Amino acid sequence: MERKEEQAVVASSLEIQVRAQVLEEVYDRSKDTLRPVTIKQINEAPPSAQEGDFKIDDTEISQLTFVGQIRNISTQATNVTYKLDDGTGTIEVKQWVDADATTPFGEADNSGKKKLAENKYARVYGKLKSFNNKRHVGATIIRPVTDYNEVSYHLLEATAVHLHYTRGPLNGGQKSTGTNGTYDAQAGTNMNMASGGQSMAGLSANAKKVFMCLSTSQQSNEGLHVQVIASETRMDPADVYKGGEDLLAAGMIYTTVDDSTWALLEI
Amino acid sequence: MSEATPRITAPYLESFSGKVVRITGKVIQLRGENATIDAGGHISISVPKDAHLAKDHAVELVGKVSPDLTVRVLTATDLGMGIDFAAVDAVVDATHRYKEIFYGEESGY
Repeated sequence: MERKEEQAVVASSLEIQVRAQVLEEVYDRSKDTLRPVTIKQINEAPPSAQEGDFKIDDTEISQLTFVGQIRNISTQATNVTYKLDDGTGTIEVKQWVDADATTPFGEADNSGKKKLAENKYARVYGKLKSFNNKRHVGATIIRPVTDYNEVSYHLLEATAVHLHYTRGPLNGGQKSTGTNGTYDAQAGTNMNMASGGQSMAGLSANAKKVFMCLSTSQQSNEGLHVQVIASETRMDPADVYKGGEDLLAAGMIYTTVDDSTWALLEI
Repeated sequence: MSEATPRITAPYLESFSGKVVRITGKVIQLRGENATIDAGGHISISVPKDAHLAKDHAVELVGKVSPDLTVRVLTATDLGMGIDFAAVDAVVDATHRYKEIFYGEESGY
């Protein structure tokens, strides 16, 4: 019994690693974002150089989320089209009808659909599509908003993210968890608090040095290679490996392109 | 394309005269087809017969601001109790402070 569980745990952690690696190889992670937006931003997003993609505030967008009041629902054979209005504009949201949906969310979805009615607010997660120069959002999820405060929350979140992209991240250690550019100011206070609030207490000196290097050095999404960390910190590569292992075990960093290249796991 | 209905409170009424706006407020008084709501100050509104307002409930209105600064309501959505008006006010503030993402012409940021 106990062994079986152990195997299951090993299997699932392996699975996670493999999946993470597969994702890492196929996608540019920086584009894998879920951005809260207003409908006006969606309608005005200029197409980017790459066909089918759009930009908001000069940043490529991928998954979007927004709220809106349902103005119209039109049910067709293959999809349901909702017209949503959030006070900043209107947009059509299409959700494809999956006749043999057997996802675990299937039932919850159906019960939710009953509550999606005209003049009710809904929350959408999906991607912006353009077809014959007409924009719509292909929805992965559309669900009713049951608490109106979510509407206020969303609009404020969309504003905060918009300001983040147009004016840079918040400075001054108030609430920044360390986006590029704020590390230097934060480095001093970050000694005992990893980003996301994890404690660095109990980590080896090697681990702390490696972590500080990863959080303060310029790097791409791929993070830093062990050799780079070793030369930056003037540590012995063997010590860097030891420190890295501690951080990997603590779930504070993860391997990217290969086992010797690490990036901070920021939550 | 100006389908936007900017969120406002009482102090903004004058600058939105003749425009269609969106107001979230609390119902203070009901008198048949007229009512008073509180949204950063009192606002007199005229509501369609089929709108169901309830006293002390929060309500979201889409309506047109008349020259006398009353609001002719087009649609009203009852929001019940438990609305955080501080958050609602913050949204109105953000709407006008960073209007490039809320209403008006495409901005030049």
